Amino acid sequence: MKHILSQIFHTGKFTMGFCIFMGILLLMVFYPLINPGDPLKIVSIGTFARPGTYISLYDAVDSRLNTLKLDEAPANRLESVLKMEDRVKMVMWFEAVEIPIGHLNIHDTEALLALWEEHYDSTVRPEGMTKADRNYFQRLDESLNRVLVTKEKILATRDASTAELQEIRAIEDTDYVNLKNVANVKRLPLGTDNFGRDVLKELVAAIRTSLVIGLIAGTIATLIGLTLGLISGFIGGIVDDIIMFVTNIFTVIPAFVLLILISYSIGQDQRGPTTVAVVIGMTAWVWTARAVRSQVISLRNRDHVNLSKLSGHNLFLIIVTDILPYIASYVVMALILQISGAILAEAQLSMLGLGPKTTEVPTLGLMMNWSMLYTAHLNGYWWAYFPVLLTIALISFSLNLMNTGLDQVFNPTLRD
Amino acid sequence: MGKVMLEVKDLKTKYITRFKEDVYAVDGVSLTIEEGKSLGIAGESGCGKSTLALSLMGYYFAPLHYMSGDIIIDGRNISSLDPDDIRKNVLGKEIAYIPQAAMNALNPTRRIIRFIEDVMKVHKPEMTRPEVYEMARKRFEILGLPEKVLNQFAVELSGGMKQRTVIAISTILSPKVLIADEPSSALDVTSQKMVIKMLRDLMEKGYIKSMIFITHELPLLYNVTDDIMVMYAGQIVERGASKEMVFDPIHPYSKGLMGSIIVPETGTREHELIAIPGTPPNLKKPPAGCRFAARCKFATPECRVYSMEMHEFGEGRSHRCRFSVEHLREVYANG
Amino acid sequence: MNGYRKYFGKKLLWFTITFVVAVLLNFILPRLMPGDPVAVITAKSAQGMSEASAVKEVYEHYAREFGVNDPMFKQFITYFKNALRGDFGLSFSQYPRKVSDIINDAIWWTVALQLPAIIVGWLIGNTLGALAAYIRKGFDKVIMPVALFLSSLPPFGMAVILLVLFAIKLEIAPTSGGYGFDMIPNFSWPFVKSVISHYQLPFWSIVVYATGGQAIGMRSMSIYELNADYVKYSRFLGIKDSKIVGYVFRNAMLPQITGLALSLGTMIGGALVAEIIFSYPGLGTTLLAGITMADYPLLSATTLIITFMVLLATFAIDIIYGFVDPRVKAAQFDE
Repeated sequence: MKHILSQIFHTGKFTMGFCIFMGILLLMVFYPLINPGDPLKIVSIGTFARPGTYISLYDAVDSRLNTLKLDEAPANRLESVLKMEDRVKMVMWFEAVEIPIGHLNIHDTEALLALWEEHYDSTVRPEGMTKADRNYFQRLDESLNRVLVTKEKILATRDASTAELQEIRAIEDTDYVNLKNVANVKRLPLGTDNFGRDVLKELVAAIRTSLVIGLIAGTIATLIGLTLGLISGFIGGIVDDIIMFVTNIFTVIPAFVLLILISYSIGQDQRGPTTVAVVIGMTAWVWTARAVRSQVISLRNRDHVNLSKLSGHNLFLIIVTDILPYIASYVVMALILQISGAILAEAQLSMLGLGPKTTEVPTLGLMMNWSMLYTAHLNGYWWAYFPVLLTIALISFSLNLMNTGLDQVFNPTLRD
Repeated sequence: MGKVMLEVKDLKTKYITRFKEDVYAVDGVSLTIEEGKSLGIAGESGCGKSTLALSLMGYYFAPLHYMSGDIIIDGRNISSLDPDDIRKNVLGKEIAYIPQAAMNALNPTRRIIRFIEDVMKVHKPEMTRPEVYEMARKRFEILGLPEKVLNQFAVELSGGMKQRTVIAISTILSPKVLIADEPSSALDVTSQKMVIKMLRDLMEKGYIKSMIFITHELPLLYNVTDDIMVMYAGQIVERGASKEMVFDPIHPYSKGLMGSIIVPETGTREHELIAIPGTPPNLKKPPAGCRFAARCKFATPECRVYSMEMHEFGEGRSHRCRFSVEHLREVYANG
Repeated sequence: MNGYRKYFGKKLLWFTITFVVAVLLNFILPRLMPGDPVAVITAKSAQGMSEASAVKEVYEHYAREFGVNDPMFKQFITYFKNALRGDFGLSFSQYPRKVSDIINDAIWWTVALQLPAIIVGWLIGNTLGALAAYIRKGFDKVIMPVALFLSSLPPFGMAVILLVLFAIKLEIAPTSGGYGFDMIPNFSWPFVKSVISHYQLPFWSIVVYATGGQAIGMRSMSIYELNADYVKYSRFLGIKDSKIVGYVFRNAMLPQITGLALSLGTMIGGALVAEIIFSYPGLGTTLLAGITMADYPLLSATTLIITFMVLLATFAIDIIYGFVDPRVKAAQFDE
């Protein structure tokens, strides 16, 4: 046993797959400890908040202020207002009103701004420019003015009775607050999804559900496949014929179609993650049954099996002691493949709207489905779907890698 | 003394495993075969006899690597030749090979005649397809193989037929040396006999000039080959004429090996059928002294330190044991 | 040739049996729903329809078609007859269109997309797998994990990535549909051009998806074949390595044909979901419409057609395979 383990970990593929998978498991176990709470809680109003650190503005203005004199501050401010696309648009405006720009370098902020200051006029209506575009330029001009002229900002409260504004504090462009002094800071490393849920938290919960689905479905499929394969291979004869007949039929009829039909028939309300897992497991056993059967057939006439038969051992005992140990490695590999297959199957079912019902638990497939329904991919909200895709791929990849590693150890013909 | 067909001098080759370890599977083998003679090589599985068969071809590919030594076929040293030169001018023409598992030696998806054409394209590119067919047909006829085999796929042939087809293809260019690696081990008794008969025919009719026959089944060697060599842990430990080797083995390993055979002619065996206890040494790090010392009943501590070269002790006989022939005979006589 | 006829007959019988079973499953699974199937189905779908008369007609049509009062066996016969005639009733969601018309519009998009994509993916995958097995070393170390990663990515994942990369970021391909949304299908050049540009992303995402799995299969298969005895034997007959590599790849590729047949169901399933990402007007989108609109007749007919396509393709592959691989002939025809 120790020898086999050392051999398995000797293959780079298995070790790499094992490390990736352990990493995912660790994330799944420890992240909820750091960030506890309901993964489906809606934390942001509005959809798809960008990933990042959110500071409560309300708390920030009440925090202790420090004055920092930073030379780069104005430039940074300008940079945040004047993006590359704005610069391109500005040049377009110049062209629209036929102002010669000469050898203007679009990255030369000073020259660009000087030209803009000199020529921009909100009353000019260049031909062919829509109102939306004119409004855009107006807004750009205003925000540029705001940034360029650093005036202090006044913070005030409204008197409840007189409705007059009372100044509390003036905020200078050199005022800073220490992040530690702000009462409420929220980190959303992967932003929020279409419902305004914390994507990372949801993703971690989804990994758990999907792995459970994989495990249940994989176990069911492997058990059915193993049982049928053992019976069919060991007993042979008419039993074998019948089992193989059924197996062959379900080899060609796509499991995918059966999954759809069964899931649809079960109905949305009845479909919890466990039900979905069971259905997936019930449609995925075919491969395992075939593989186990052919292994058993190659074993059934070995000497030690014949000896057991002659000694009058019963069928169950022979299978458990003389057959199972020899195909154990094979069954483990089949189980691993089944788990990764089931996780993919859940994802595909969910993409078709036939996944587990959506209100209780997140799964990787459901997260993917929602982000697609809300066209996250068309609008550049990468954090809503890309981490999910990557997670599915990594889970499946790590399982496949481990399987390949095992295959190399137990199947000598594939050795390098 | 006849003309020497194959002479091998101190041949050393090694395997490089996928963990980059060196396994010295053929470690200093020398042998000679004269025209019209056949030599049997015997030994337990893992003794390096199949590797020797591969090494004798003079054409090496991973994981087998040539280290040193000479292979001289009919006076020409092929060890110094360029691999492509060997491929075109030596393989098949001068030295041919019959593989261990001849059952799978033929490409299952190519008709036999197509494969023969592929071989001829290398060695006799001037021959046209009908000429090749005619030549193959004739050779098959002489060897008692049906003509229709030529147009069949290997998968359509029975085991014995496959093996005989392989032999026919291997010898189609009438090579000077034929190396047969367990050509009959996987076959039933009838097919075995046919294969042996075929090999004898080939020798008698002069289609092959000499033969090395490798097997773990000693009775077979006694019937087929003129001489026998016993191999252990990558080295030859004893050589002699077949009859002498079977009835009067000298080296303790040969003694142990021959002790387990039934001589078919007398139907008796001289000793109990006992497998030699222990396993062959690890060839990644061969032991310093006699390689058989760890398993040898008669070994003394010196045996584990000093190794011996092959030395002659009679007409065409030589062995590798430290002890004198008289001493060994006395030891054997006393049980 | 008689053997082949037997093989063909066996495959045809098998095709018929699986088809009947597929229809049976399609018929029986929704009837396992608790309660009155017609009520359940129409209750679900009535939400999507506005006209009261339409709901009534659909209900009546469906009750008639389901024939709830007839015995199960008779119901099945009716269903089977209708299915054979291509009569799948009226669609709930696109009332009063016939389901067969909707499917007829979609099926050719799917066939034209998936058939070439899977074949191209199979070819590329096999080439890469063979190269990885033959070259090994660096190439294998790169190709193998990449192929494994690609095959681990769900097929719709590849579609999303290609869509974001090429349609959104680089803006060199349209994001969705089978042709420009402002066009009416006809045989003009702008329309064909639009179809081609819309074809690219779905096509390549299916190709990449198919490539990964095939490359891995082919690699293992080729390594297995490269270690086969016939490789060694052919080398020792002096046959050129390039020729032998030809043998190996042919022999490794042939079983990959059956491999394709066996994985076809999974592949098409994955590709259908990939179609959805691009809102491609094929069966994937039809399937999704059937599910989301609770349009049972449409869903049921689509799954049946998909199954039929897979069965037909598998049958075709089996037939071709029987012709090209003599190993099948030997194994199957002799039975």
